[in-house]
Amino acid sequence: MNAFSYVTAQTAGSAVELVRERGRFLAGGMDLLGEIKDGLAEPAVLVNVKALPGTREIVVAKDKVVIGANVTLATLAEHAEAKKLLPALAQAADAVGSPQMRNVGTVGGNLAQHSRCWYYRQRDVRCVKKGGSRCFARGGENKYHSLFTKNMCLSPCVSNLAVALSALDAAVVVQRGAKTVTLAIAQLYERAWSEPKAHHSLAADELILRVEVPVAAGARSAYVRIAEKNEFDWALVSCVAAGRIEGGKLRGVRVALGSVAPIPWQVKEANAALEGREPTAENAAKAAERLLKDAEPREQIGYKIPIAQALVKRAVTALAG
Amino acid sequence: MPWPKETRWLGKETPRVDGPAKVTGRAKFTSDIVLPGVLHGAILRAKWPAAHVKSVNLEKARRAPGIKAAILVNEGEFEVRYAGQEIAALAGTSKQAVLDALALIEVSAEPAAFVVKELEAVKADAPQVFAGKANLTEGAAKETGEVAAAFAAAAAVAEATVSTPIQLHQPMEPHGHTVQIDGDELTAWSSTQGVFACRDSFAKSMNFPQSKVRVTCEHMGGGFGSKFNPGVEGLLCAKLAQAAGAPVKLMLTRAEEGLAVGNRPSSFQKLKLAADAEGKLTAFEIYSVGTPGFAAGANQGGGSGGASFPAPYIYKPAATRVKQGSVAVNAGQSCAFRAPGHPVASVGMEAVLDELAVKLGVDPVEIRIKNDPHEIRRKEYALGAEKFGWKEKYRKPGASPGPVKTGVGVAGAAWMSGGRGTQAEIQVNADGTVEVRVGTQDLGTGSRTVVQVVAAEMLGLDRDRITVRIGDSRFPPSGSSGGSQTTAAVSPAIFDACENVLAELKKVSGLDDPRGANWKAACAKLGSAPLQVRGKWREGLSTGGAGGVQFAEVGVDTDMGAVKVKKVLVVQDCGLVVNKLTCESQINGGVIMGLGYALYEQRVMDARTGFVLNPTLENYKLPGAADLPEIQIMLLDMPERGVIGVGEPCTVPTASAIANAVANALGVRVPDLPLTPDRVLAALGKVPKGATGTAARPDATAGAFAAVAAAPEAEWVESNGGCHSYT
Ligand SMILES: Cc1cc2nc3c(=O)[nH]c(=O)nc-3n(C[C@H](O)[C@H](O)[C@H](O)COP(=O)(O)OP(=O)(O)OC[C@H]3O[C@@H](n4cnc5c(N)ncnc54)[C@H](O)[C@@H]3O)c2cc1C
Repeated sequence: MNAFSYVTAQTAGSAVELVRERGRFLAGGMDLLGEIKDGLAEPAVLVNVKALPGTREIVVAKDKVVIGANVTLATLAEHAEAKKLLPALAQAADAVGSPQMRNVGTVGGNLAQHSRCWYYRQRDVRCVKKGGSRCFARGGENKYHSLFTKNMCLSPCVSNLAVALSALDAAVVVQRGAKTVTLAIAQLYERAWSEPKAHHSLAADELILRVEVPVAAGARSAYVRIAEKNEFDWALVSCVAAGRIEGGKLRGVRVALGSVAPIPWQVKEANAALEGREPTAENAAKAAERLLKDAEPREQIGYKIPIAQALVKRAVTALAG
Repeated sequence: MPWPKETRWLGKETPRVDGPAKVTGRAKFTSDIVLPGVLHGAILRAKWPAAHVKSVNLEKARRAPGIKAAILVNEGEFEVRYAGQEIAALAGTSKQAVLDALALIEVSAEPAAFVVKELEAVKADAPQVFAGKANLTEGAAKETGEVAAAFAAAAAVAEATVSTPIQLHQPMEPHGHTVQIDGDELTAWSSTQGVFACRDSFAKSMNFPQSKVRVTCEHMGGGFGSKFNPGVEGLLCAKLAQAAGAPVKLMLTRAEEGLAVGNRPSSFQKLKLAADAEGKLTAFEIYSVGTPGFAAGANQGGGSGGASFPAPYIYKPAATRVKQGSVAVNAGQSCAFRAPGHPVASVGMEAVLDELAVKLGVDPVEIRIKNDPHEIRRKEYALGAEKFGWKEKYRKPGASPGPVKTGVGVAGAAWMSGGRGTQAEIQVNADGTVEVRVGTQDLGTGSRTVVQVVAAEMLGLDRDRITVRIGDSRFPPSGSSGGSQTTAAVSPAIFDACENVLAELKKVSGLDDPRGANWKAACAKLGSAPLQVRGKWREGLSTGGAGGVQFAEVGVDTDMGAVKVKKVLVVQDCGLVVNKLTCESQINGGVIMGLGYALYEQRVMDARTGFVLNPTLENYKLPGAADLPEIQIMLLDMPERGVIGVGEPCTVPTASAIANAVANALGVRVPDLPLTPDRVLAALGKVPKGATGTAARPDATAGAFAAVAAAPEAEWVESNGGCHSYT
């Protein structure tokens, strides 16, 4: 491990200044410390961002819920109003790792976490994500990898919160230099779609401040997933459906899949197929078909397709209440 | 059996004596030992699966800040045969200093061709793990009876091809030691299953007299067969302590546990089984191949060098043909692992037996009762079926309505158990307190509690009068904790020592029966010199040959391939129950381990890098609390048989029963363990064409079986004889 300095930032502005010289933001450290210990990251400075004012609160406003970047996953999972207004998000937070991890891991860290690909995480493998020339998962042991990608790297986005926030149409407020900018979830990850080295779209000095999730009257959502183990395991595939029910019909509905692409996977046509329809298994199957249309079931990944179909059905029909 | 009939402690539910210390953190495990001036040790491991190493230069590392000793594992040039092989070791003043200095060791090596997948390694043109030696070694074909004729005459013949993964031990406490060399004395605090075996091993490899070596292990967090000796890491720890002139602690990391401290060999099995119209088994055939690691092809003699396993398992058809192969790959070597060979053997045999039962239209429990040569197991099947509600639950394969289909399965276990050769010492003080000293160790099975229970029973005392001291090679000798032998080896020695205590005390006190109410008065007569009495294991108090059967009930989500085990019923033969709580705790653990084998656990090797992709518990998936079924235990309490160990038989049939239950639920067999969702979906035909999946490919396994069948007999590496024998 290289020697590094450690500094606690007091303002968002100073945090992004301090991180410029080969630094990394440190929140709960669940991901970052592992990367440092495994020799995958060699930061010169760790900028602790947990003391930034206003980043540990969940504020419920009339039309949105605002979640600070340093809210822990446990706090989010147990938050009474979040559970009521944004059940999928609370469920997604509750399904992360173990209680110990949820007590320490944060919303910002979960969204900005790096690849968990077991080739990427090997100290002595230099894969395309680390600037090497090949993706070892291609033609290798790839059962935990992507059905969709536009680049060489097969590592999927595995953040539980990303898939939930994607379906909930959330926005992420980011400190970029002296300004703050607001990104849609799709924007937060779009670079990972096309660039093999990217884990998300943020530059090293861009800091997530908070997440804003719109809520409308009658909004419903559901998070479902399957993992190999019942607890403390990564989702093989996850699915979130969100929308309103008006007169028995779905309105403003979005369905997203997790762990199947380097980004939370949404397809406009799939959402459109559900708009104005009842949340039935048949309608869900039509949406699933559109969601999975371009899937590439390479080597060991094909089984994710039937799982995704089943999860879409379960998530959509769950909206019926 | 001379054991008392009316008991106060024996067979009752006694909590672990060291439970409070363990749950409050007061119990000292090896990693808790902190000696003044102790240095931290760490190992440099090969990052190539195969290489020729020309030189290793320690000089830069030696000069790094905080480094006090640097040693080589091999002098001169040598071969690396797996990624993770030990190359050098350092000791220094902090863990981080040592980890940083490891990066400064210069290794000049020429990487070589390698192979890590069994089904590739059997091919004639595969890279050889040992140059000039075939990777595949076969055992002599064993044939009894007229095999071809028996199959031809059978009323039904069933076939099955199954595979089982490499399972890692992954004990909660990693391997490790603290070693101190003080003048001519070597003291080791070891996480071990055998303090005496470790003592002898340290003495031999460090060239110390046995009388000058002491090994202690007060508490340890599991070993499952992988901690019978100090291991390479123990030897390196001792050498570092010698080189540094200071005590050294060397504990392996979780990832190292996944590379180099043993595993359960894999298997690919092709089985054929026949029966007559009555359902009596008449013929059996198996071809199998698996890898025990890099050393399979080497003439290494002894140890768990092979991947063979008992076949035919349990059942005894008259005509049998058995041919088993072991194939070397560039990966860490196996070693004894809880019931070596048996879970592997059981998975194949119980699968093909169920397939046969289906063909014959015979109930799976009935076919077992009809064919099992072991009387106790036959009784257990009947008792268990009743308790489990087998008749009501069993349906034809695939008959359960979906999408979540339920199924049931059953399987049996044989284990030799036994155990002997322990001595014990009891010291009775004038105040009536008692110290029992015995050089066994508590692998996690509750040995300390067992000793206390037996002594309290025999002396007629409250347990709190009795202090038990174990885990020290200065105490009277006892064997290693393995083969499910500890309780049966230790209890009789305590019994014997207690009898001798009572005889002596009778003499000293003149009291006819110094037990119970008379105890204090009798002890008061001792004066200033405590009474010290020995005892040793003797015939007639313990026995071997444990049978057990298990029933499993599962639900399988046929949309997503997820298997949920709902219930496991264990009917276990264990002779005289010494302590019901720790006995049942062993069985719970065995079932959980078997569940992991069935559903989750598998070392994944990468063909192109040669690395273990899942050495840590993030992706090497051990069952957790949320994965556990209801575990119901029926102990066949048969005091007349004496003490019998249960630590291993209870893990043997779990995976087989689960795999059979899944086959019963689905109506198709998922051939490869672990039964993960991708494989369940593939077996159901739900995975799109073109995706090959993680299951073993039939053309590849066929090639391997053909290689085993065709190749002439070669140098045969016998697998661990002691642990593999069974009744
Ligand atoms: C064994 C294991 C199992 C896990 N299982 C799951 C799972 O099932 N589902 C799941 O979603 N996750 C899982 N995780 C990942 C874990 O949830 C995330 O690592 C955790 O939420 C990260 O939060 P943290 O605060 O600890 O992040 P840190 O480790 O502090 O940071 C993670 C990354 O984000 C960056 N970062 C932190 N805060 C910010 C910010 N405000 N703005 C920009 N960048 C930031 C850091 O620089 C770092 O690169 C698992 C992790 C482990 C080790």
